[in-house]
Amino acid sequence: MTTMTSPPRPDEGEAKKRSERNATQLTRRQRLSRLDVKASPYLYIAPFFVLFALIGLFPLVYTFVVSLNDWDILSGAGEWIGFDNYVAELNDPYFWNSLFNTMSIFLLSAIPQLVAAVFIAALLDQNLRAKTFWRMSILIPYIVTPVAVAIIFSSAFGEKYGLINNILTSFNIEPVMWKSEVFASHFAIATMVNWRWTGYNALILLAAMQAVPRDIYESASLDGAGAVRRFFSMTLPSIRPTMIFVIITATIGGLQIFTEPKLFNPTSANLGGAHREYQTTVLYLWDMAFNRGDFGKASAIAWLLFIIIVGIGLLNFMISRKIASTEVKVISKRRAKKLARYRATTAANPTGVPAASVVDEEKSS
Amino acid sequence: MKSQRRTKMVAAVAGAASLALLATGCSATDGGDSDGPITLTVTTFGTMGLDGLYAAYEAENPNITIKATNIDTGGNALTDWKTKQAAGAGLADVQAVEEGWLGQVMQVSDTFVDLSEYGADDIKDRWVDWKLAQGTDADGRIIGYGTDIGPEGLCYNGALLEEAGMPSDRDAVAELFGGDSATWEDFFQVGKDYNAATGAAFYDHSGFVWNAMVNQLDEGYYTADGEIDIEGNADLKSQWDLLADGAASGLSAEQSAWDWGGGKAFTDGSFATFMCPGWMLGVVKGQVEAAGGDASTGWDFADVFPGGAANWGGAFLTVPTQSEHPEEAAKLAAYLTSAESEVAAFQAAGTFPSVIEAQTDDGVTGTSELSTFFNDAPIGTILGSRAEGVTSQFKGPNDSVIQEQVFGPATKELDSGVDGDTAWNNALEVLKNLDLN
Repeated sequence: MTTMTSPPRPDEGEAKKRSERNATQLTRRQRLSRLDVKASPYLYIAPFFVLFALIGLFPLVYTFVVSLNDWDILSGAGEWIGFDNYVAELNDPYFWNSLFNTMSIFLLSAIPQLVAAVFIAALLDQNLRAKTFWRMSILIPYIVTPVAVAIIFSSAFGEKYGLINNILTSFNIEPVMWKSEVFASHFAIATMVNWRWTGYNALILLAAMQAVPRDIYESASLDGAGAVRRFFSMTLPSIRPTMIFVIITATIGGLQIFTEPKLFNPTSANLGGAHREYQTTVLYLWDMAFNRGDFGKASAIAWLLFIIIVGIGLLNFMISRKIASTEVKVISKRRAKKLARYRATTAANPTGVPAASVVDEEKSS
Repeated sequence: MKSQRRTKMVAAVAGAASLALLATGCSATDGGDSDGPITLTVTTFGTMGLDGLYAAYEAENPNITIKATNIDTGGNALTDWKTKQAAGAGLADVQAVEEGWLGQVMQVSDTFVDLSEYGADDIKDRWVDWKLAQGTDADGRIIGYGTDIGPEGLCYNGALLEEAGMPSDRDAVAELFGGDSATWEDFFQVGKDYNAATGAAFYDHSGFVWNAMVNQLDEGYYTADGEIDIEGNADLKSQWDLLADGAASGLSAEQSAWDWGGGKAFTDGSFATFMCPGWMLGVVKGQVEAAGGDASTGWDFADVFPGGAANWGGAFLTVPTQSEHPEEAAKLAAYLTSAESEVAAFQAAGTFPSVIEAQTDDGVTGTSELSTFFNDAPIGTILGSRAEGVTSQFKGPNDSVIQEQVFGPATKELDSGVDGDTAWNNALEVLKNLDLN
């Protein structure tokens, strides 16, 4: 505190008067420092909120306003039509098609990616030679720009001249129509996503794994728990909070996927495949805004997607909370049982020294 | 000490704020009268061949500085133009627009300067009349100066035709396809003969053929009155049936346009003919070279086109009303579309001039790297002859959307073996879903 008042004098009345005067007649310096204490914290956090209002909140609200209008990209604002754009989009088969594609690509990428990331992290958590080398290596795909990844992969997945189909045909396997079949194209795009993000997620999970105390592992292995048992019973439960973080960020990223499908077949006349085989929702939004020029509908799609992402985020949050609370429940149940047993033994053995058998049991459990 | 720190922080915040202002593009334009120094911005796309002309113009007009931006493809240029148009700021003083999106430009033609105010009437005889008509809006305001046009001829691979026992000589090939009265029926018949002799496909994919067919009609996806009418356009349907029959006979190589396996499809005998507007010649050469081929791959260019004259693409230079120096910008646009400039652009990029005088210039009709590649074909002369009889078709605001999103998938379906009627009905279904107007 910068405001220092002199210690109270023995004369009560005098001191009171003095302090009253102090409250009303502060020096300039004192007033400044009071302002400093009260206002400065807000000033310090202001840049974030000002920026957020400017580039986060304002566009959000403005998009909503646009979505309530019949708004053409070239001729600008048209009539106010309420929620007609939302109704039109919810009845548009291409909107649902884009949602299906997004979810399908998301599931095809998120699940294998997280499983692989957990196991890679577990491997890297072992006592390896040249640790840093291995850890850096798995991050390399993340450093490459997504555009470069998309261009290389889309060439490899080419239908007629692509590397993968060339290999398949050399083994007398029918070439796969990577860019014109729904599942094949989703698989190809998910591959790009996985290639890029697995290493990144593995590193985050690795950091979580390293925070698990080593002595727990040691005592577990002394008690005869194998590597697999240790992984499933100790590692996985310990990294649960990080897992939830990774899953939520993967969900948000996965639902907004754009670059990979946009560049998967850049020469296609239709965005996201001739028959919209892999047209994700953001791609559909882009098409609506910039090809078809309907800003109103595009804004409505943006808001629908926003609501869906928030919804799935909440779902994730609730599921993760439920997992956490059941864990607490299991633990407290176990503890209550032990406590009851302990009390029973101490009651039977009034000397206060716990029976040896209970101590043994504690150790082995 | 403390107050000093505070001042520093305030200064830092102020500095950051001013940086942010700069970043959001509140750049002050250097105004001034026409005698003072003026900076003109130019935005072009693809290969328009204008780059070499800027320096010459700057030398002639010492008070002008040109800042040119070239966007890689027409599609990206369209997005760029649309966003800046929507934002109401950021367009260049001289803005190139493509024929394919002219329908959208005409929707907002009042945001472009009427070039008649800056001397367009004095020079309007330089262009072929249909090009001038395309650049004129419904109220008779001239908003675009034509750069190139895309008269279509037939690219063919002489070596492949010879293997099929057909002539490879340019004139004989033109005759084979029906000469001056070449029809699409002739084209598909030759294709079937070729297919019978070799078992190979005849053209690269159905999309480009369809494009040519549609562009040739008096009315395409829109009626002349500006209404979308596809179901009621009997000409469109009869052309579609021809195309479907061709695809069903195995004449399409089912290639992906603009991909062609990195050019390999042009060198491995996948197809023997290709729809070639002037600017496409450079594309063919580029594709063949990308695949490691050269002139010996046998590509040639014939003075014939099924169904008569056709035009595909071409660009205009416009001056948006956003421009602070419309007069100087219009002058620059006029310079860039003069006969000499268009000859220079043709030599640089193979873009065929829309200026009549330039079309017969030695620089266009003479030999060039491009003509050497096409077996010494007199490219400029052939294109000039292919440009005769081209008429302009009304292009509505959603023309490019229909072409890409309705008939893109449908032609792809034809290539993958779907029968013509099903693909046509699917196209109409998509059109209904898109709900365009």
